[in-house]
Amino acid sequence: MTVTGGNLDGYRILDLTDEPGFLAGKLLGDLGADVIKIEPPGGDPARRRGPFAGGSAGPEGSILWVALNTSKRGVTLNLEHPRGRETFLALCRNVDAVIESARPGAPESLAGRGLSYETLRATNPKLVMCSISPFGQSGPYSGYRGSDLTAIAMGGNMYPTGNPERAPVRCTLPVTYYHGGIEAAVGVVFALWGRETTGEGQLVDVSLQEVMLVPNMTSPAQFPLTGFKGGRVGGGFRGGKAVFHELWPCKDGYVSFALRGGPARIPGIVAMVKYMDENGAAPDSLKRRDWTTYNHNLITQPEVDEIEGALGAFFKTKTMSELFAAACARNLMLAPANTAREIVGSRQLAAREFFVDLEHPHLGATIKFPGAFAKTNLGNVGIRRRAPRRGEHNVEVYGALGLDVAALAKDGVI
Amino acid sequence: MAQLFTGLKVLEFGGGAAGPLGTRYFADHGATVVRVESRQRPDFIRLLRYTPGTEGGLDASHMFAMVNVNKYGIALNMSHAKGPEIARRLVKWADVLAENFAPKAMAKWGLDYESLRNIKPDLIMISTCLNGQTGPERNYPGFGGQGSAISGFNHLTGWPDREPLGPYGTITDSLSPRFVALLVGSALLHRRRTGQGQYIDLSQVEGGIVCLSENIVTQTATGEALGRLGNRSRHAAPHGAFRCAARDDDDDRWVAIAIHDDGDWQRFRRAIGDPSWAADAPFTTTAGRLANVDALEAHVTSWTRTRSAEEVMATLQAAGVDAGVVENFEDLTRDPQLAHRRHFREVEHRVIGKHLAETNGTRFSRTPEEIRMAAPCLGEHSEYVYRELLGMSAEEYSALLADGVFQ
Repeated sequence: MTVTGGNLDGYRILDLTDEPGFLAGKLLGDLGADVIKIEPPGGDPARRRGPFAGGSAGPEGSILWVALNTSKRGVTLNLEHPRGRETFLALCRNVDAVIESARPGAPESLAGRGLSYETLRATNPKLVMCSISPFGQSGPYSGYRGSDLTAIAMGGNMYPTGNPERAPVRCTLPVTYYHGGIEAAVGVVFALWGRETTGEGQLVDVSLQEVMLVPNMTSPAQFPLTGFKGGRVGGGFRGGKAVFHELWPCKDGYVSFALRGGPARIPGIVAMVKYMDENGAAPDSLKRRDWTTYNHNLITQPEVDEIEGALGAFFKTKTMSELFAAACARNLMLAPANTAREIVGSRQLAAREFFVDLEHPHLGATIKFPGAFAKTNLGNVGIRRRAPRRGEHNVEVYGALGLDVAALAKDGVI
Repeated sequence: MAQLFTGLKVLEFGGGAAGPLGTRYFADHGATVVRVESRQRPDFIRLLRYTPGTEGGLDASHMFAMVNVNKYGIALNMSHAKGPEIARRLVKWADVLAENFAPKAMAKWGLDYESLRNIKPDLIMISTCLNGQTGPERNYPGFGGQGSAISGFNHLTGWPDREPLGPYGTITDSLSPRFVALLVGSALLHRRRTGQGQYIDLSQVEGGIVCLSENIVTQTATGEALGRLGNRSRHAAPHGAFRCAARDDDDDRWVAIAIHDDGDWQRFRRAIGDPSWAADAPFTTTAGRLANVDALEAHVTSWTRTRSAEEVMATLQAAGVDAGVVENFEDLTRDPQLAHRRHFREVEHRVIGKHLAETNGTRFSRTPEEIRMAAPCLGEHSEYVYRELLGMSAEEYSALLADGVFQ
């Protein structure tokens, strides 16, 4: 690990989130902030979720936990205990931001424990507070329960995803938490920027439902102009007069390729026809077509079906890696629908030294992780440390406040 | 009160969504954002729905108008001999330079970071392309559809027995802008503290893979490759979208229901009237529900199918159960919670007329975002930007205009 320094050097952040907010604190930590994860004494619920590294269930081996809590220190704190709340306020005096992800009004939220933003602000007027919640801190649905499934449903990104004859469908991993996690990290950084100017913190209110609208790429805002509600077309897209395939079976998996037009994309289609022709797989109808005037808004469904028939048959004769190698060599706009296996084996990611190995001595394992989410000329973005064990930094964090850690533990405060 | 980024100057080259939605964060919070385009090579999203007969031509693109509100737009012909020199003058004006071309483009014009830091030492520059600025596949030409495939989102979205899917809207194009805002925002804090600028290389694929860390670490720590599960969860059931009663002639109405534990299940069971099938094994435990999930989902659908999605949501939420309407784009424009948060704002565009624009998912208690200006027509603000912001003389502006530099 050679990451030193960071854009957020010197900032300290308390992270009280559960799964919906894990990514936010991790990214802020990757940028150099000192992020302290606060868990209840029994540990975060994610620690009990499988699968587990090392094969057997245990609080330190949950993949969900270890994957998204890197670059954080970790302490335990019992906020149901009065001295736990006092300790939390003491921590707040020396930090720049607090992130939480409890549902507004829930007993386990900070406000539910008598630690509302107003209370924290009275302790530290410069404090930034970021709350991630399913629907936002106020409004008619603010008290509603929500999770990835319902946030993506109510954010409008589920209805248009799926096969037309089946139910709308989500991604198997929780994309609303990824969108919301980055968004919350943005909110913290922006509010810190404002604080540097005004000296005052503010409340940053992230709604997972609302975060999911922008991924629809302006289709919701276009509704009054187009009347398009978002009907599903499977692994494809809609042109002006036809529906196109985008995800195709090949010999050993799937690839993404679409007959999208426009000056930037037509050379890729021309190159694909040439590649097919060299393999004896381009019918005359493809070779004769004047692709320079190709427009995906004007082509009709029978024409699309004819072209796609040839494409689909050709792809089935090749593997994902054969097709992607050709795409890189010939500038075809084709990509493999990678599983984790292909991603870990990528030569591009290897050349960029993207993956990092983190030692987990308590699991007896060294595990490979996705590394920096960006590179800078200062070399200052990336994972700082593996995810913390339960209460791993109690002594150094509470000791720095002058507190007696053994006594706190004995009294059930941590 | 001033907005968060009042006075900040951002210059932007490129197109699509991955870069432009990132600079939008700064524009919505008061920064002056100038988009550079050219008639030779307009932003490709101006062409997504374009046909030769499109009224309003390149300025009629709904998506361009909605992505680029709050920005100034100028035309600059980078193929003209004088184009790159004008671009360098714009860089000297700017605090932040954002671009999302393929890696070769900026260097070809002498607009790479190493050259630009000589004329603007504290410049913050961000480049975002599909695979990053280095490595053997850096020049692979890609859009968001390919980003979703390479980073693993397609493989994980859809049904186990069917082809991989979306998610709708090419997800790396909506994750990347958030990373752009985070990286540039943090670089501004760093510059404020140290006086130092920086160059940022954001690979859209790598950003997506970091989000899907659970996918990678499951593979590297256990050897298991995750796959598509539809809407099901490995940990709880029911967890899915269930068909509801038709609304008028629309029989594509659904509600999402997520039962996370046995407490949720008890509340759900009571809310749907305590039917006899739910009172007995195997459905009383999470393990039993997971093992009999097909039968369970059929029972749930038999209850939802005769009710509207809105009624199901209201009934279950009143009982403390996680449930929500699977909203289509029309539903979103009428959603009371989104209305409360003022997600949609109306602006008036010179060609399109009045239209909605969207804000992102965050509200700031002291420094609200604003949507104050429609997106630019191609080159709409050339004169203002070159004359007023760059301080170009009237003579020079006219001469360059006549010379075709501002095409």
